[in-house]
Amino acid sequence: MLLLTVLGAALMLPPLVYVFDQPIAHFGIPQIVVYLFALWLLLIVGTAVLTHALPREPGSDEDEGER
Amino acid sequence: MLSADFVIATAVGYVGLLFVLAYFGDRRARVNTRSFLHSPAVYTLSISVYCTSWTFYGAVGNAARSGLEFLTIYLGPTLVFVGWWFLLRRLVRISHNQRITSVADLLSSRFGKSNRLAVLITCIAVIGIAPYIALQLKAVTSSIQAVAGSSEFGRGSLKGIDDVGLAFGVAAAMALFTILFGTRHVDAKEQHHGVVAAIAFEAVVKLTALVAVGVFVVFVGGGFENIFARAAEAGVTVDATNTFDSRWLTTLALSVAAIVCLPRQFQVTVVENSDENHLRVASWAFPAYMLLMSLFILPIALFGMTTMPAGSNPDMFALTLPMAFGQDALALFAFIGGFSSATSMIILESIALSIMVSNHIVMPLILRFSPVGNGDGQGVTSLLLVARRFSIVLILSLGFFYFFFTRDSDALAPIGLISFTAIAQFFPAVIAALFWRDASLKAATAAIAAGFVFWVWCSFLPSFESVSPQVAMLLDRGPWGISWLRPEAMFGLNGIDPLAHAAFWSLLVNIVTLTLGSLLTSQSALERIQASVFVDVFRRGQSARGNFVRGSATANDLFFVAERVLGERRAAALFETEARDSGVEPDMLEPSPQFIGRLERELAGSIGAASAHVMLSKVVSGSEVSLEEMMQMADETQQVIEYSQQLEKTSAELRSTARQLEDANAQLRELDSQKDEFLSQVSHEVRTPMTSIRSFSEILLDSDDIDVGQRQHFVSTIHQESLRLTKLLDEILDLSALERGERTWDNVPIDAEAALDRALAVCEALLRQRGMKVELGDRAQPTMVEGDADRLCQVFINLISNAVKYNDSDKPVIRIASSVKAGNYVAEIADNGPGIAKRERKLIFEKFWRGPGGVADQGGAGLGLAISRQIVARMNGSLDLVPGPLPGACFRIRLAVMK
Repeated sequence: MLLLTVLGAALMLPPLVYVFDQPIAHFGIPQIVVYLFALWLLLIVGTAVLTHALPREPGSDEDEGER
Repeated sequence: MLSADFVIATAVGYVGLLFVLAYFGDRRARVNTRSFLHSPAVYTLSISVYCTSWTFYGAVGNAARSGLEFLTIYLGPTLVFVGWWFLLRRLVRISHNQRITSVADLLSSRFGKSNRLAVLITCIAVIGIAPYIALQLKAVTSSIQAVAGSSEFGRGSLKGIDDVGLAFGVAAAMALFTILFGTRHVDAKEQHHGVVAAIAFEAVVKLTALVAVGVFVVFVGGGFENIFARAAEAGVTVDATNTFDSRWLTTLALSVAAIVCLPRQFQVTVVENSDENHLRVASWAFPAYMLLMSLFILPIALFGMTTMPAGSNPDMFALTLPMAFGQDALALFAFIGGFSSATSMIILESIALSIMVSNHIVMPLILRFSPVGNGDGQGVTSLLLVARRFSIVLILSLGFFYFFFTRDSDALAPIGLISFTAIAQFFPAVIAALFWRDASLKAATAAIAAGFVFWVWCSFLPSFESVSPQVAMLLDRGPWGISWLRPEAMFGLNGIDPLAHAAFWSLLVNIVTLTLGSLLTSQSALERIQASVFVDVFRRGQSARGNFVRGSATANDLFFVAERVLGERRAAALFETEARDSGVEPDMLEPSPQFIGRLERELAGSIGAASAHVMLSKVVSGSEVSLEEMMQMADETQQVIEYSQQLEKTSAELRSTARQLEDANAQLRELDSQKDEFLSQVSHEVRTPMTSIRSFSEILLDSDDIDVGQRQHFVSTIHQESLRLTKLLDEILDLSALERGERTWDNVPIDAEAALDRALAVCEALLRQRGMKVELGDRAQPTMVEGDADRLCQVFINLISNAVKYNDSDKPVIRIASSVKAGNYVAEIADNGPGIAKRERKLIFEKFWRGPGGVADQGGAGLGLAISRQIVARMNGSLDLVPGPLPGACFRIRLAVMK
C-alpha cells in the first residue's frame, strides 16, 4: 500500500511525468491528460483491491506492514 | 432568463432544504445508530467537502489559465487516501482513543496537552483560513453577479448593491445558517450527524451539477475529441512544457498537507468518523469522487475559452456556458451546485474553527477565571455554544474583510493556495506527532510559529499588493530597502514562482526548526507518555491511556465536574455505566484511574484535551504524572520532609529540656537530701570529738588513781579534740559564711605565684615528712590576679595537703605547674595517688565528702575542697578536677589575669 502511494507520487512528479508528456494525442486527447487520469484511475482501483485484501479488524502488528 | 432575485430565492430555499435535512438527519442519527447516516457512503460524501466552489468555479478558471495544474489539488489527497493505512487510519484511531476534536487538539494532546500550542494553532488556522472563506464569498458573489449581469432586468433588487455589499450579505447569511446548523448543541465527540447528512447531500448535488454541465458541454462541443481539437486550432494547449515545474510540486505537496490539516477536513475525516472501517471505502471512493469532479473541468475550460467572448471570466464558465446556450434550468442547477459547495465549506469550516476557538481559547480562559465549583448546573455547554456563535461571526468577518481588501485580485485559485500554505505549516508537526517519538513541544511550537511568520511575510502580505501601494513597494524593494528581505525573493532567491517561494521557505524553516529543536530539547514526562500513546497506537492495548494514576478525588467531585461540562443527563449515564461495570451502587463508586482517564476523554470531546486535563487535574490533585505536577509533588514532599525535620528538631529540643528538667529535679532532690546529710554529717563530726572529750573528762573526774603521765595524755587528747572541734566549727562557719556571701573581702591585686610559693614553703615539712617527691613543672612569671593572698594560699595548701594525705603510692610524687593561658592564670597540682573514681568526681567538692576511703583517720571534716572552691569562686575563678599528667588526681585553679 505504501508502495502504491510512493509509486503514484513518483509517477506524477518530475522527472517521470516528463516521460509521458509527449505531443501525442489519443482519441484527440493529449497523451499527458490521458496518462494522468489513467494513473489516477489505476491508483483508485489499486487501492480498492488492496484495501479489500487488508484485514477488517486492524490492530495486530504484522498487519502494519507493506502490502 | 434568470433574475438575481429568483436565484437568491432559490438559494435561500435550498439552504432551507439543507436545514430540514440536517434537522431530521440529526434526529435519525440519534434514534438509530445503524441508519444509513452512519454508512461509509455518507462518510465518503462528507469528505468531499474538500471540493468547494474553488473546485466548481476555480478549477475551471485554473485549467483555463494554467492548464493541468488544477489536477494537483486532487492528486495530492488521492495519494493520502491511497496510503490511508499508514496515515489516516492512525489519525482516526488516535483521535478516537483520545477524543480529539481538531487538529489543534491533536497536536496539543500529543505534545503534552499544551494549551499554548493549541492556541497558536487555532490562531494560525483562523487567520490562515480567512482567504479561503473569502474565496467562497467571492465565488458566490461572482456567481450571483454573473447570473444577474446577464440581462437587463436581471439585477432586480440587487440594483445599487455592489460586490462588497453582496458579499457582506452572503457572509451574514452564512453566519446565521452556520449558527443555526452547527451550534444547536455540544456533542460528546463533536460529531454533527445532521450537518454531515446535509453535507453529503450537497456533495451529491454539486457533483451532479458539475457532471451535468460537463456532459452538456461535451454534447454541445461534439465530444471530447472535438473540443480538444478546436482548442488546439485556437492555440489553446494543455501540454505546455512548463506545467511540471516547481509549482506542480508545490501545489501537490500543499494539497497533501491540506487534506489532512484543513480544519474542516480533519473534522469530517477524523472527528466525524464513527467507524474506522469507513476509511476502507473512502480510500478509493473519495479519489473516485474527485476524479469524477475533475473529469469535465478541462473540456469546460477549453470549450469556454474557444466559444466565450474574449475577456469573460473563466472562473464562471460552468455558469456562463449554459446561460450562453440558453439553458437557464441547467445554469440554475450549476449555480446551486456552486452555491452548495461554498455553503458546505463555509458551514463546516466555521464549525471546525469555532470548536477550536471555543475549546482552546475561550474554555481555558473560563477555567482560569472561574473555579470549577460554581455554575448554573447547566454545565459549561451553554457558555460554549455562545462562544462558538461569536467565533463563527468572527471567522466569517475575517473572511469578509479579506475579501474586502483583496477584491480586485482576479482569480479564485491563488487565494485558496494562500490558505493551503498556511495550513500546511501544521503538517510537519502532525507527521512528527504520529511517527517521531522524540518530537518535542518546544520544537513543534517554534516550528509552527516560524513557518507562520514566513507565511505571513511571503504569502499573506503579497496578496494585498493590488490594494496597498505600501505593500507593492515592499514587494518591489524590500523593507527599508533591504532587498534580500523582499517577501517574494527572500535571501535573494529570485525568479521562483511566489507560491513555490513562500511554501519552500516557510516549510523549510518549519521542518528544520522541528527537527533540530526536537533533537536539542527534552520532553516533559507527560509529553513522553503522550508520544508513546501516539506513536505506538497500534502496538499497545486500549488500556494504557490513563494519565492519572491513583486518584484522590471522590466520585462526587468528579460527577460535579462532569455535570458542568456534559450536562446532568450524560454525566449521570456515564457514572451509572461505570458503577454497573464495576458492580457497585452509584453512590459507592470509587473512581479508578481508568475511569478518570475515560472521563477525561469524555470531557476532552467537549472542551478539548488540554482543558479537560486542566479541569480534572484540579479535582484529582496530586495524582497526576506530568512533570510539573511531579515537581509540585516533589516540592510538597520536600515541605513535608522539612516540616518533619522541624518537628524532629523541636522534639529533640523538648527531649533535651525534659532531660535538663529531670537533671534539675534530681539535683534538687539531691540538694534536699544533702541538707539532711549536712546536718547528720555535722552532728556526726561534732559528736565524735564531743564523745571523746566527755569520756576522757569523766575518767579524769571519777578516778583519782591516775598517774600524772596518763592524766597528761588524757588532757592533751581532750585539748586536741577541742581544737579539732573548734576547727570544725570554724570551717563550718567559714563555709556557710562564704556560701551566703557574708564573709566578704575586698579582692585586691595579688601575686598568684607568690601565694603558690608560700603554700609550698608551708607544706615543705609535710612533704618531707611523707618523703614526697616534688616535681616542679613550668612556672609562670609573677602574675597579678585579683583576690585575697591568704585565702589563695589557703586553697593551695589545702590542695597540696590533700595530695599528700590521700597518696598511698610507694613513691609518692606531686607535680606542681603554673602558666598563663588566654588571659588566665592556671595552676595545676597533680599527684600519683589513687585518683578519684569517675562517679565520684562530681561529689568531691561537696561538703563532708571524704573520698572512697571515706575514713575519718585522715583528719579534717571533708570541707576543705568545698571551702576552696567557694574561695576561688569568690575570686572570680574556678577550681576543677581535670585529667592530669600523673595517674592520680589533678586540680586546676584558674584565675583571670589582671590587665
